[in-house]
Amino acid sequence: MNLKNELRGYAKPVAESVLAILIGVLVGALVLWFSGYSPLEAYYWLIVGSLASTDGIAETLAKSAPLILTAITFAIGARTGLFNVGAEGTVYFGAMAAIIVTQYLQNPIAGLLAGLLIGALWALPAAVLKVYRGVHEVISTIMFNWIAFFLVSWLAVSVYYNPKDPNSTLPIPPSARLPLLIKGTSLSWAFIVAILSAIIVFIVMWHTKLGYELRTSGQNPRAAEYGGINPKRSAIWSFVIGGMTAGLAGAGLVMGTPPSYAITQGLANVHGYGFDGIGVSLVGRNHPLGIIFAGILFGALSAGATAMQQHAHVPLEMIKVIEGIIIIAVAVPGLLDLFARPFRRGEA
Amino acid sequence: MEEQTPVLEMRDIVKVYPDGTKALKGVTIKVYEGEILGLLGENGAGKTTLMKILFGMLKPTRGKIFLRGKEVRFKSPADAIANGIGMVHQHFTLVEVFNALENIILGMEGHGLLSKIDVENARKKLQKLMDELNFQVPLDVPVENLPVGVQQRIEILKMLYRDVDILILDEPTAVLTPIEVRELFAVLRKLKEQGKTIIFISHKLNEVMEITDRVTVIRKGEVVGTVKTSEATPQLLARMMVGRDVVLRIEKPPKEPGEVIFRVEDLWVKGDRGEDAVRGLTFEVRAGEIFGIAGVEGNGQSELIEAIAGLRKVEKGKVYLKGVDITGKRPRELYDMGMAHIPEDRTHMGLILEMSVMENSILGMHWRKEFSKGFLLDWNKVEEHAKRLIEEFEVSAPGTKAPVKSLSGGNQQKLIVAREVSKRPDFIIAAQPTRGVDVASTEYIRNYLVKLRNENKAVLLVSADLDEVLQLSDRMAIMYEGQFMGIVKPDEVTEEQIGLMMGGVKGEPQK
Repeated sequence: MNLKNELRGYAKPVAESVLAILIGVLVGALVLWFSGYSPLEAYYWLIVGSLASTDGIAETLAKSAPLILTAITFAIGARTGLFNVGAEGTVYFGAMAAIIVTQYLQNPIAGLLAGLLIGALWALPAAVLKVYRGVHEVISTIMFNWIAFFLVSWLAVSVYYNPKDPNSTLPIPPSARLPLLIKGTSLSWAFIVAILSAIIVFIVMWHTKLGYELRTSGQNPRAAEYGGINPKRSAIWSFVIGGMTAGLAGAGLVMGTPPSYAITQGLANVHGYGFDGIGVSLVGRNHPLGIIFAGILFGALSAGATAMQQHAHVPLEMIKVIEGIIIIAVAVPGLLDLFARPFRRGEA
Repeated sequence: MEEQTPVLEMRDIVKVYPDGTKALKGVTIKVYEGEILGLLGENGAGKTTLMKILFGMLKPTRGKIFLRGKEVRFKSPADAIANGIGMVHQHFTLVEVFNALENIILGMEGHGLLSKIDVENARKKLQKLMDELNFQVPLDVPVENLPVGVQQRIEILKMLYRDVDILILDEPTAVLTPIEVRELFAVLRKLKEQGKTIIFISHKLNEVMEITDRVTVIRKGEVVGTVKTSEATPQLLARMMVGRDVVLRIEKPPKEPGEVIFRVEDLWVKGDRGEDAVRGLTFEVRAGEIFGIAGVEGNGQSELIEAIAGLRKVEKGKVYLKGVDITGKRPRELYDMGMAHIPEDRTHMGLILEMSVMENSILGMHWRKEFSKGFLLDWNKVEEHAKRLIEEFEVSAPGTKAPVKSLSGGNQQKLIVAREVSKRPDFIIAAQPTRGVDVASTEYIRNYLVKLRNENKAVLLVSADLDEVLQLSDRMAIMYEGQFMGIVKPDEVTEEQIGLMMGGVKGEPQK
């Protein structure tokens, strides 16, 4: 009875996201067709590349891990009434912190904790500016992303560079790497860390006082204040928890992605996850459990894109087009109503 | 009158909303030329829906409208106005930074982006209209700086300027002070003299009794009956409206108040614009006493409540609860010390509309041990709590997991009262506790406040509804521009004295 009610509450957002995905796929097919590619062939290789083999599935899940974590950063913000786009920069810091700390403490837990901690710390300036000086978080987090980019680039090039390979930083020492779940693939414990994080965040947001206070502050700050909740405190917690998951995303990326286990030149291999996470969060309806599925979907698109390029000769960028269409479709409010209305009219 | 054809007839109007709600189940009303027809019903009875259909804002699912015997079908409010039907909404539709003149001619500036607006002509026409009706509004002041009563008159003028002869007023007195109500009624009588037809929507019995010629009572989307006002009594109308006898009098046994529970000393509070909203108030509320604060809204009541409830900074002065200085304490500390607060703005402060009944049922007490299990919230306990509130207060809700926005206004308010009472307070602030609430819920809430008083709680009642303050309070103050014009006992004061004090005239000095 309870469960049934709860599931009913989820039915609509899930249906809306599924519909958005279908629209993305269909419009994507049209775009492919107009661009002179065969949509069928492209999608065939997309699915083969991402889901039809153990390797494909492993790649899909591996790609989803950082997306799930950065999506959660955005989702916690959104649920607290904040538009936190600071995950991008925090990922760089998380990755760098893991590399630095594991040079001294050669243990995966130490690396992950380093990512977690630096994520929490790096979230504080934006949080403090927001709460005490009213600086809008979109402005501050975008600026901090650039500070993070150049600071970490400098660390990568000038301090923690790899003497044997000028194109990357020092690698994570073998004993501090996250063990692979399937040998010969890049699916590591980073995926498990992402799933666990999503579950923990779900519990925090929906089953603790703190989560109740965060959600109340997000929905109605005046009611929160009236209800004895300090909305400022909520905002700071939201930034900090969000920073932690983004930091973890960065740490997991370098600690769990063979073969380099390092940050590559121009931060190329840790770049873009923070912004992609925003889309994942939207498709997952800013809900940690929805984000797991949305993250895996985006992971699959990204994993299958390579096969699509190799066999159907469709450029990788086409995948970004499809992702974009899906996100726009999700963002259209009342999308489902739009589609359901003609049917309902028949009933009445 | 019976023999003539009605100027307006709505026949068998049915309205089913897309979500399946049957708002109107075949309503027929007739309006005769030059009369004031009262449309009486509780909140949610369908009055407003019916009038929105008449005004072209909603399409009826079924049914016909006849204007002077001819069937009409309005596609939009503009259509209705063109046919001589105007409506003044409960929530005004004025552009706040425009003055009255600009608001009134808005939409009639003529066509073409660059065509000249004939302001002077409009002003002349308006002045003539106002002279005829014998009521004036300042035409050149931005409406946001005008009192609500005046804004409402601007709304009425706006319709008259468009030459309507049937005027619909949706709960026009909800936002008015007693004096403004009297003024409005004078205007309505004048309009009637001039041959205008008025449909007056209300759920207030006294007003309907006073101003209307006939009353059509609607209950749950159906017409219960139509009576001549001269042949009706408030009791009869109340019975028709709620389907049972309503105890319009609240039972309030005499009671000696106990010790002082709450005290305010020389309190000064600033308003949002930095003005002194509360200017040196001193009063006390005792155990077993309802202390009422009446007055026209916007005279510092909101700021006063927020300051004592920990939501606004106290500039000067002290607040004591049970002898402890609570000045500047946060809401959470105050609730833990035995304060509860029914806020005046239930949708923006008292509830989180998107969240469930369950989640709302613990707001302001969610940190209590009874709701937690280790560091987790114990949702089973919360649900039990929510169910208890729903049962005890007869809140009609689809379930504990339903979002609060799916409840009617009256039920939302009952939920808030239930929650606040469940905090087991010694001192409870009730701000506008029955505003926009249906008759049955109003009665329930008022009786509950008296019950709290009888149980020796201290109750601070702040209300713009003078009847409510008079009926419930043991002592009452009248607030005007941040000060009390007097503290009196309701049964030792005449309505006229109160009216004077609400208008800023000091009462007899109380020593």
